[in-house]
Amino acid sequence: MNIPIINIENLQKIYRISEEVSVHALKGVSLKVKRGEFVAIMGASGSGKSTFMNILGFLDTPTSGKYILDGIDGTSLNDNQKAEIRNRKIGFVFQGFNLLSRTPAIENVEMPLFYRGGFTHEEMKNRARKLLSMVGLSGREMHHPNELSGGEQQRVAIARALINDPAILLADEPTGNLDTKNTNEIMNVFTTLNKEYNITIIMVTHEPDVAEYADRKVVFKDGLIIDDSPIKKLKKSRR
Amino acid sequence: MDFSNLLITALRSLSKNKVRSMLTSIGIIIGVSSVIVMIGIGRSAQITVEERVGTYGKNAMEIASFHTLLTEADAENIKKKFPQVKYTSIIITKSNVQVNYKDRSTISGMYGVENDYFKMKLWPLTSGRYFTDIEMSTHEKVVIIGATVMRDIFIYEEPVGNIVIINNVPFKVIGVLSELGESFGGKDFDNVVVMPYGAAQRKIIGNNKIDRIYVSVYSDKQMDEAVEQIKEYLHRAHMITPDSNEFRITTSKQKLEMAEYISKTLSMLLAGIASISLFVGGVGIMNIMLVSVSERTREIGIRMAIGAKRRDILSQFLIESVTLSGLGGIVGIILGLFIYYLITYIVDWPYIFSITSILVSFLFACAVGIFFGYYPAKKAADLKPIEALRYE
Repeated sequence: MNIPIINIENLQKIYRISEEVSVHALKGVSLKVKRGEFVAIMGASGSGKSTFMNILGFLDTPTSGKYILDGIDGTSLNDNQKAEIRNRKIGFVFQGFNLLSRTPAIENVEMPLFYRGGFTHEEMKNRARKLLSMVGLSGREMHHPNELSGGEQQRVAIARALINDPAILLADEPTGNLDTKNTNEIMNVFTTLNKEYNITIIMVTHEPDVAEYADRKVVFKDGLIIDDSPIKKLKKSRR
Repeated sequence: MDFSNLLITALRSLSKNKVRSMLTSIGIIIGVSSVIVMIGIGRSAQITVEERVGTYGKNAMEIASFHTLLTEADAENIKKKFPQVKYTSIIITKSNVQVNYKDRSTISGMYGVENDYFKMKLWPLTSGRYFTDIEMSTHEKVVIIGATVMRDIFIYEEPVGNIVIINNVPFKVIGVLSELGESFGGKDFDNVVVMPYGAAQRKIIGNNKIDRIYVSVYSDKQMDEAVEQIKEYLHRAHMITPDSNEFRITTSKQKLEMAEYISKTLSMLLAGIASISLFVGGVGIMNIMLVSVSERTREIGIRMAIGAKRRDILSQFLIESVTLSGLGGIVGIILGLFIYYLITYIVDWPYIFSITSILVSFLFACAVGIFFGYYPAKKAADLKPIEALRYE
């Protein structure tokens, strides 16, 4: 249990724009995250946090450094292996929800299982239904994204992210497009998932209020971590 | 990702742009329907040829005239004067006569002939006999019936010796012909009643006109020469200038060549249309799939983020383009069969339903979808997930 679920050492990412120009987005980042932690990642835009999240999510490859996720070395994988890890180990929640339009909620949630393969139609439906009820969307299974509110869409996205029992949930400004009421609802869902189901969550956010829900705050600046500290739970009981 | 889900995904995304999908399929529809029409016409023509050769017999020619009446003497003289002529027969035809026996009746084709007719066509009897010389010269009301007529009105009875009523005239059955079978086009060679031509003229038609004379020669090599000589003889005998072309002689070979030429020309033309429109249709599919890929870059990104592999995206878009071309193929097949039916109806050729041509053209349509859909699908599959997700 003491083995960190995420172990990152001296991670660097250099974007080569042209022969002469290159951008050093990450300049050697190290981070360890334990199972069941809820980490908020903050920083101005251009600080490198998005690049970091992309590498964390196996959407991008680091130029150098070490990244081990749940015992898997993430630095030497081919595209198919990365797709499989995204499918099995990582649940994504995006700022823009990123649901497939004109596809009912339940099918959006099932989608990762299709790509994983080996499930019957019935098993997929059952699992998706269970997760939708867990995020409070029972009875909305057949609704299309455009028939749901922003908060509801984000909950569908969370259900989708969880369907393969991922090792970590990566949330990239999950409340960026939501009003205060919906923001609180989504953050409460995250808190429940983290506390009751022991799901590891790593969340990028701009809003200090939102970051308060996490246990730990990691701040990026100019491609480096400049602050990594626990959050004192002053507003724990906030609703 | 299993196939049924891929198909549902494809149909869903195609139905989002119904008009666009339909327009895109037009090329395929035209291409496939041309293939169907082409194969159909080819077969129909071939069968038409077979039928004609069947009715003429080998090394045979048909003599017909425009205004001048052919005479019995013409037929006799042709046989007498030309050593290369093997058989001649006057032919009187009526396409529909009613044949009754007891309370049963049928509609058949009537032929008034001479005995040589059966030899020319190599058509033996299963029972009874051919016409006697006396029956021929006295225009006796005797008839030889085809196998279908026997089945239809005699059923289990022995026809020979019985009387049938043909268009209200009683005829005595003296023979039954062996079965030739049906042509592929459905024309029944055995639904015939054959009688002495004199009887046909006098008892059924009601005049002494001779429509045509069939002549056959011993060998294929003698045909062209015989045609020229007989033509010249007839013009001379009737005292008509040869360049008036009063007498028309058509050989089985000519008919064959003509039909082959028509069907070949038509086939070539349609093959041209088919390949051009299938190509254009394919390019249309490629174009629309490229548009679709760039429109749905974000969707591709989402799918990749949640675990779609390269081959999942590739097969998704390939199946979409194949569905598009396949549906176009189905519509094209229906349209093609309809056009083909119309053509055969108009030119009175047999309509041949061929499951092979349907399968071949459907598979061809799908192949076009795969061929022209591969590049866009590969483009989609080669997207980097991070860039696809960021795409606005």
